[in-house]
Amino acid sequence: MATLRINGQTMDIGDIDPSTPLLWALRDTLGLVGTKYGCGIAQCGACTVHLNGAPVRSCQIPVGNLTNEEITTIEGLAGPDGALTAVQQAWVDEDVPQCGYCQAGQIMAATALLKTNPSPSDADIDAAMSGNLCRCATYTRIRRAIHVAAGNANSTAFYDAAAPKGVAV
Amino acid sequence: MNMKTQLPAELPGFFQELVNGPEQDIKPLALNRRGFLKFTGIAGGGLVLGGMALTGDKAFAQPPGAPAPVNATPFVPYVQIKPDGRVTIFSKNPECGQGIKTGMPMMIAEELDCAWSDVDVETADVDAALYGGNQFAGGSLSTPMNWMAMRNAGATARAMILAAASAQLSIPVGELSTGNTKVLHAASGREWPYSEFAERAATMPVPEIASLTLKTQDQFKLMGQRVTGVDNVKIVTGQPLFGADVRLPDMVYATFTKSPQIAGKAVSFNEEHIKSLPGVIDAFIVEPFLDARFFNANSGTHFGGVAVVAETTWAAIRAKRELEVEWDNSSAEVATWDEMVARATAAAQQDGEPIMVTVGPPGPNAQRAPADRGDVAAAFESAAKVLEAFYEYPYVSHAQLEPQTTTALFKDGKIEIWAPAQIPQGGEAGAAVIAGVEPVNSTLHMTRIGGGFGRKLANDYVFEASAIAKRMEGRPVKLQWTREDDMQYDFFRPGGFHSYKAALDENGNLTAFQDHFFSVTGNGTAPMTSADLAPSVFPMDVVPNLKLTQTLFQNGIPTGPMRAPASNALAFTFQSFMHELAVASGKDHVQFMLDTLGGEGPSESPQGMHKGRAANVIRTVAEMAEWGKQMPPNRALGLSFYFCHSGYVAQIADVEVRANKEVKVHKVFAAADFGFIHNPNGAENQLEGGIIDGLSQLFNAKITFKNGVIDQRNFHQYPLLRMPQAPALETKFVQLSPEFAPSGGGEPSMPPLLAAVTNAIYNATGERIRKMPLSDLGYRLV
Repeated sequence: MATLRINGQTMDIGDIDPSTPLLWALRDTLGLVGTKYGCGIAQCGACTVHLNGAPVRSCQIPVGNLTNEEITTIEGLAGPDGALTAVQQAWVDEDVPQCGYCQAGQIMAATALLKTNPSPSDADIDAAMSGNLCRCATYTRIRRAIHVAAGNANSTAFYDAAAPKGVAV
Repeated sequence: MNMKTQLPAELPGFFQELVNGPEQDIKPLALNRRGFLKFTGIAGGGLVLGGMALTGDKAFAQPPGAPAPVNATPFVPYVQIKPDGRVTIFSKNPECGQGIKTGMPMMIAEELDCAWSDVDVETADVDAALYGGNQFAGGSLSTPMNWMAMRNAGATARAMILAAASAQLSIPVGELSTGNTKVLHAASGREWPYSEFAERAATMPVPEIASLTLKTQDQFKLMGQRVTGVDNVKIVTGQPLFGADVRLPDMVYATFTKSPQIAGKAVSFNEEHIKSLPGVIDAFIVEPFLDARFFNANSGTHFGGVAVVAETTWAAIRAKRELEVEWDNSSAEVATWDEMVARATAAAQQDGEPIMVTVGPPGPNAQRAPADRGDVAAAFESAAKVLEAFYEYPYVSHAQLEPQTTTALFKDGKIEIWAPAQIPQGGEAGAAVIAGVEPVNSTLHMTRIGGGFGRKLANDYVFEASAIAKRMEGRPVKLQWTREDDMQYDFFRPGGFHSYKAALDENGNLTAFQDHFFSVTGNGTAPMTSADLAPSVFPMDVVPNLKLTQTLFQNGIPTGPMRAPASNALAFTFQSFMHELAVASGKDHVQFMLDTLGGEGPSESPQGMHKGRAANVIRTVAEMAEWGKQMPPNRALGLSFYFCHSGYVAQIADVEVRANKEVKVHKVFAAADFGFIHNPNGAENQLEGGIIDGLSQLFNAKITFKNGVIDQRNFHQYPLLRMPQAPALETKFVQLSPEFAPSGGGEPSMPPLLAAVTNAIYNATGERIRKMPLSDLGYRLV
């Protein structure tokens, strides 16, 4: 019986077809639906998860290829008490999501970026985030939210009437 | 009595059908007090206050001078005040990223005078009896159609709480006031939470709308503040929200496969092999569903194909890849894009058939006449300058990131559906037909929509899931389209062509305008959905001499509304040609635009353009961008303006053209007048998203087809803009006067971007762009 290491837990995926992409094992078998299907060919980044801390496209990884790698999904970022990470909090405060469908992938990519580069420039952000499509085009807010999460920009958070309006970084 | 929802005239006719259904009458809701009490009983759970009648035009009364009110069907929002003091506000319209699940409850909360931190928002049920016919997301209409009604709802609830408090406390109502979800008594300094009066409030008479006093704009505490999306925390923690996230016990998974040649019919398939594959439960042909109540025969459909039902999505996808289907393509589409281009180009110098418009009152006996006015021939004869130009734009896919999906369960003679649908009531009604059940036995639950952009106005995927669920009776089925399905079986933004001719007099003023429009028809007589041209487009609405003709090519490739239908292409052609005219006139572009507007007054038609609001956003964006300033070499500003969906937006793009046609859009400035902005966060998100959406389409978006087969399958062939290409943005909302009612921002935000960039490229290089996408001309966005 196959198992995966997900969000710090060992999870049973039964006698699953080993060709099943991690994406569908997460969504269908384990009910972790935060990771999204967008294209199936590693073009959109909606299915981004962390494999041993690095961002990967879960639509491209057959579960049969996985053994004891530590997998982190969007559901595994917040603390056990529900405390949001700095990236998640910045996404909320900067009101990044429009439809929100791509944002799990965006947050996983941004979280991985800040882990290796705690104070990224605009160019660093552009490079690290270029694999993640947002059809609603929230890119300017994603940039700002990453700067806020890195502590390099003031938040324009909820009810902050003094915040500069309408100027995206 | 016919109480169909009245939509703005600028929307295509089929949109009206999408919303109203061609044969359905939407009954007005006129809850009396008994209906109200009964309703509160249904809502149940704690102490309930909610449900209030909002009848008649008063619910939609707008201030004098405003555009004609949208006389939508009255509906009943509702509010639940729980014993712990929490206030639940139900949001009745689908949320597809336009922010309405946050915005509409804000309108209620403002007039209810409750603290936003006390509010929980839940998505309402789909229920025409409670909400009338206007539970939909489209046309940037949610705000204008609900602005007054939502506020009245909140004010009604507040008045009933005050009446209950007065009775319970034996204090005259005139001594009581409200604030932060509390009833206040200034004389004694005492205050009580609303929850203390909720039970009694539910027994109070529902006040007349006319007796309510709504807040004035300067009294708003919540509206006008930056409020973040109510689902944000769920989104950033990956909680189930979207159609794709629905999970039910014993659920099975389905794919659906249609003919590569659009509208071909499945005859047979390798059934034995497919059913032998691991995890496959069933595989079968689903016959086309062509009920005219749910599909416009003139806009194409492609329902019908082969369903594979399996234990997992992956098993269903694997089996789909092994399908070998025999298609009957004898009546399938045969259109080829390159042939359309050749035919339109060859006929550019000829006139087409007159474009007819309704004159006088609408209705079955309405008079039709050519859209022409004045005498273009005489104007061209006496002109100082005459310009001609031919413009082209392609078919475009919606490409919302959530591929179509629906979960459906047919059981005990009832069909139950969970779907991301922009017109959920239409999905529910169609599912009943497919399942063969009475409408009352069809229930659709709205989920959050992973991107709509108009694609999910069509309920084709809801109907497919319903048909599959009927066959799988007793087991819930989740239908999952692949991206390849999604890109091929879209209701596309149609491509089109414009052959323009215009005249300038010796003072550089526009005197005549002529357009031969090339578009598509499915039925041989009328333009398909979003493939039409109306003479309301600026500058056709103001020019003294106008001639408008069209040629319709037979082509049944399905079309449908996409963000700013029609405008999303017309804004490119018209505003690029306006810049050509400005250059020829010798005037500054801003001045030429203002001169062409020819004044600052209101429009003569109810849904027409207010020239003063148009001029205001043009002047404002020119100030923001320091129009006229010195720019570095190969870099220039470009201006564009467009009015649609009651919204006024002017944009200026700061564009650098580098070697090898590499284009860097450094910054885009935008000034918008949507009336009062109740949530600056939401409006700004729409404006920012619209600009970058426009940039993405301008450079890369193109769907082509040969013999009825779509060429593009996934994002590697249909690239969307990525983070490094996203420009800096500076946006500003202006409100020329508080007399103008709020309008929606989702659609008018996008169109001006197209010509702002191409006009900037002209200003930087002298090269005029008359074709989208720019990648076809060798340009590359960096």
